[in-house]
Amino acid sequence: MSEGHHDLITIPAPEGFVPHQVAHHFDSVEKEFQSCKLGFWLFLATEILLFGGLFAAYIYYHDLYPESFVEGGKLLNWQLGALNTVLLLASSWTMALGVRSAMLSEKSKMQGYLFVTFLCAGGFMVVKYIEYSGKIAHGLLPGYFFGLEPGSVYAEALGHLPYPNLFFSLYWTMTGIHGFHVLVGMILIAWLMVGGAKNRFHAGYYMPVEIVGLYWHLVDLIWIFLFPLLYLVP
Amino acid sequence: MTTQVPAAEVEAGPQKGSNYLNSHRGFWSWAGTLDHKRIGIMYLVGVTLAFLAGGVLALGIRLHLWQPEGALFEPDTYNQVFTLHGAFMVFMFIIPGVPGSIANFVLPLMLGAKDVALPRLNLASFYLWLCGTLLAIVSMITGSVDTGWTFYTPYSIHTQQSVVTMGLGIFMLGFSSIFTGLNFIVTTHKLRAPGQSWFKMPLFIWAIYSAGVLQVLATPVLGITVLLLAFEHIYHIGVFDPSYGGDPVLFQHFFWFYSHPAVYIMILPAMGIISEVVSVHSRKPLFGYRMIAFSSIAIAVISFLVWGHHLFTSGQSEFVMMAFSFLTFFVAIPTAIKEFSWVATIWKGSVALTAPMLYAMNFLIIFSIGGLTGIFLAALNVDIHLHDTYFVVAHFHAVMMGSVAIGFFAGVHHWWPKFWGVMYNETLAKISAVLILIGFWVTFIPQFIMGSQGMPRRYASYLPEWQGYHQVSTVGAIILGAGFALMMGYLIHSLFAGKKAKANQWGGVTLEWHTQTPPIHENFDYDPVVTHDPYDYSQLEEMKGKS
Amino acid sequence: MTSDSHAAQASHDGGHGDHSEHNDHSGHHVCSFQLFAGVFFALLILTIITVAVSRFDFGGFNMIIAMAIAAVKASLVMSIFMHMRWDTAINNIAFLSSILFLSLLFLFILADYSTRGDTDPILATPSMQMKPAEYYQHDWSGH
Repeated sequence: MSEGHHDLITIPAPEGFVPHQVAHHFDSVEKEFQSCKLGFWLFLATEILLFGGLFAAYIYYHDLYPESFVEGGKLLNWQLGALNTVLLLASSWTMALGVRSAMLSEKSKMQGYLFVTFLCAGGFMVVKYIEYSGKIAHGLLPGYFFGLEPGSVYAEALGHLPYPNLFFSLYWTMTGIHGFHVLVGMILIAWLMVGGAKNRFHAGYYMPVEIVGLYWHLVDLIWIFLFPLLYLVP
Repeated sequence: MTTQVPAAEVEAGPQKGSNYLNSHRGFWSWAGTLDHKRIGIMYLVGVTLAFLAGGVLALGIRLHLWQPEGALFEPDTYNQVFTLHGAFMVFMFIIPGVPGSIANFVLPLMLGAKDVALPRLNLASFYLWLCGTLLAIVSMITGSVDTGWTFYTPYSIHTQQSVVTMGLGIFMLGFSSIFTGLNFIVTTHKLRAPGQSWFKMPLFIWAIYSAGVLQVLATPVLGITVLLLAFEHIYHIGVFDPSYGGDPVLFQHFFWFYSHPAVYIMILPAMGIISEVVSVHSRKPLFGYRMIAFSSIAIAVISFLVWGHHLFTSGQSEFVMMAFSFLTFFVAIPTAIKEFSWVATIWKGSVALTAPMLYAMNFLIIFSIGGLTGIFLAALNVDIHLHDTYFVVAHFHAVMMGSVAIGFFAGVHHWWPKFWGVMYNETLAKISAVLILIGFWVTFIPQFIMGSQGMPRRYASYLPEWQGYHQVSTVGAIILGAGFALMMGYLIHSLFAGKKAKANQWGGVTLEWHTQTPPIHENFDYDPVVTHDPYDYSQLEEMKGKS
Repeated sequence: MTSDSHAAQASHDGGHGDHSEHNDHSGHHVCSFQLFAGVFFALLILTIITVAVSRFDFGGFNMIIAMAIAAVKASLVMSIFMHMRWDTAINNIAFLSSILFLSLLFLFILADYSTRGDTDPILATPSMQMKPAEYYQHDWSGH
C-alpha cells in the first residue's frame, strides 16, 4: 500500500487551460466526477418530488372542478406559453451543445452556446413578465387577491363556475416556483461563463458545466408538463 | 472487518500527536471546516441543545398536567408549549440527530474514506440546520405557533403569522436533511475502501443508506407542503382551505407522505447503531447479517405505502383506509426480523454489560413494546377508538423517545471515546441508563392506560378521574429528566477530567476502530483495505497482538 | 496513490473526446451535433402536435394524449440532452426512482378522491359525495 498522506492529484489541461486539482478525499478525477454527478442526480430527484406535490394538487383539483380549470385555462395566453416553450427548448438545445463543447475543450464555442442559453432564459423571463402583468391587470391573481371586475369578459367566463381562483392559485404557484428556478439557472449559467472566461473548463474537467446543464434540462422538463396542463387545459 | 494494519498505525496510542481536534485551531477552523468529524461534533452539540430545549418543554407539559384544570399555563400557552416540544424534538433533534452527528463522524471512517463525498454540501447542511433552528426560535419569540407539530389546515391558515416563519424554518431543516442523506448515499456508493463490497459494510451503513433514500425521496414533499402552507397564510391560495375551495385532507396526504417515512428516517439510523453496539458488546457476529441489511431496505420501501393510517379519522375513503391498514401491517415483518436478530446475537454471546450495551438493551425492551402497540394502531377499527388519544402519544414516544433517542445515546456512549479520546464515568452512565428505563415506563404506562380509556391528546385540562395516572406520569417524566441531566453531567465532566480512552475502547473491529483515537485529520495514515466480514472478531487478537 | 491502484476504479479517464456512438456507459459520451439538432426539431414538432391536439375534443382522452406527448418529449430530453442513455445505471436509478415514488403519491391521492363514499352504501350518506368545500361549509346542525 502506498503512503497515507497523498499528494493532491492535478489533472493536466490542454494548452491554454487551467489545470484542475482533485479534492483531497478522492483518489481520481473520475471518482470526483462520478460522485458529484450522482449527488446532483439525487438532487434532481428531489426537485421532481418537490414539483410533484404541485402536480398532485393540480390533478386533484382538476378532477374536482373540471369546468373551472378548462375555462380558466382559456383565459391564459397560449401563444405566449408556446413561445416560452420554444425558447426553453431552444435553450436546452444550446445548453446541450455548450456541454458538448466543454467536453471537446472548445472554449469560444462553449461561451457562445452558454450566452445563447442565457439569452433564451432572459427572453423566457421577459415573456413571463408580459404575461404576469396582464394577469395582474385583470385580477386573475391567486386566492385572496383573485377578483374579477363585474361585467368584464373574465367575470362572464368564470363568474358562474365554482372556485376558479384555485386554477389561478396553482397557475401562479407552479409558474412562480418554475420561474424562480429559471432565475437560479441564469445565475448559474452566468457563473459558468465567468469560469469559462478564466479557462477553467476543458476535456479533463468539465463537471460544473455538466451539472448546470442537467439542472437546466430539468427546468425544461418541468415546463414540458406545465405548458399543456396550464395553457391548454385538457 | 479487517485491514492490513501497518505497524505504525497500531503504535499510535490515544491522543498521541496530532488529531482532528487539535490539528487546526481557532473559531474559523471550526465554523468553516469541511472535515466531516468536526461537522459531526458541531451537529452533536446542536442537536443535543435542541433535545434539552424540547426536554424542558416536555417537563413543562407534564408539570402542567399535575392538576386536572392545569397547573402552569394558560390553555393557549399550553398549545404553544406542546407544539414547540413536538417541533423541536422532531425536526431539530430526532431527524438530524443520528445522521447529522454520529453518522457524519463515523460513516466515512467505517468506509475507510477520508471524508464524505461532498464536504461543502455537508457544511451547508449544518448551516441550513442552524438557520432553520434560528427561524423556529424567531417564530417562538414573535408569537409562537399553536397548531401542533403537524400544522393541520385550516386551523394553521388562520392562526398567528408565526406559522410562516416556522414553516420556512422547517423548509430549511428539510433541505438540511436532504443534503445529509444525499451525501451519505453518494459516499456509500463511491468511497468504500477497496475490498469492502456491499455485504462487507457494517450494518450501520446499511441503515444510514436506507434512511438516506427516505430523506432524499420523501423530504421534498414536506418542502412543498410547508411552502404551500406559507403561501396559504400570506395569499390564501386556497389549496388547503375549504373556504377557497381547497381540501384539508390533501394537506394531510402531503404532510404524511413525508412524515410517515420520516419516522423511519428517525428509527433506521438508531437501528443501525443498535446493530453495531449489540454485536461489539456481545463479541459475536450479528445474527442474520443479510436479513438485517435487506430489512432496512424493505422498511424504507414499505414506509412509502402506509401514510394513510394517520388519516383514519380524517374523512378519506373507506376503500383507501382498508388498503392502508392492510399495508401497514407489512412494516412489522422487517422490523421484527431486526429485533429477533439482535436478540439472537446476544444469545450465547460474551456479553459485556457496558453503558452502551445497557442503553441498547433499553432500546430492545422499549422498541418491542413501541412496535407491538403500533400493530394495534394499524388495525383500522381499533384505531378509530384510539386515534388522537394518549395511547397514540405513548406509542410514538416509545418509538421516538424510547427507541430513537435512547438509540442515539447508545451511539453517543459507544463512540464517545472515539470522538474525544476520553472515557466518561461508566458507573454513573449505568445508573443513568437504569434511571431512564424506569423513568420511561413510569411516564408512559399510565399514558397507555389513559389512552385506552379515551383520554384525548393535546388537551390542557382533563377529567379528574385521570389525575392519578397523570401524576404518576409526571413523576416518571421527572425521573427521566434526572437520568438525562445526570448523563449530560458526566459526559461534559469527561471532556475536562475524563480518563484517557483506549485506542479501541470496546474491542470493535469495524474500520473506525483501526485508526487512532481520536482520529487524525485525514482519518487514516494508510490506505485501508477490507478483507474480512465486518463482525469477524477473530481479527481482534491480531490487532492486539500487533500492538 | 495513483488513480489506477483501486481495483474498483473505472478506467474511463482516457475516454474524453471520444466521438464513438457505441455503448459507452461512463457518463462521458460526446453526442454529434446532428443528433442534438434532430432532437430539438423533434421537440418542436411534438410541441406543435400538443397545441393541435388540444383544438379537438376527445373527452377524457385529451388529458391522456397531452400527458403522453409530454412524456415522449421528456424522455427525449432526458435520454439525449441529459445523456441518460449513456449514463451509469446508478445515476439512472437515482433519478427515475423519484418518478416511481411520485407515482405512489398520485396513486393513493387519486384512489382516495375517486372512492370516497364508495365502499359502504349504508354509511355513505350524501355528504360523502360532496365536494370538500361543500362538505366543510354545509350546515350540519340538522344531523
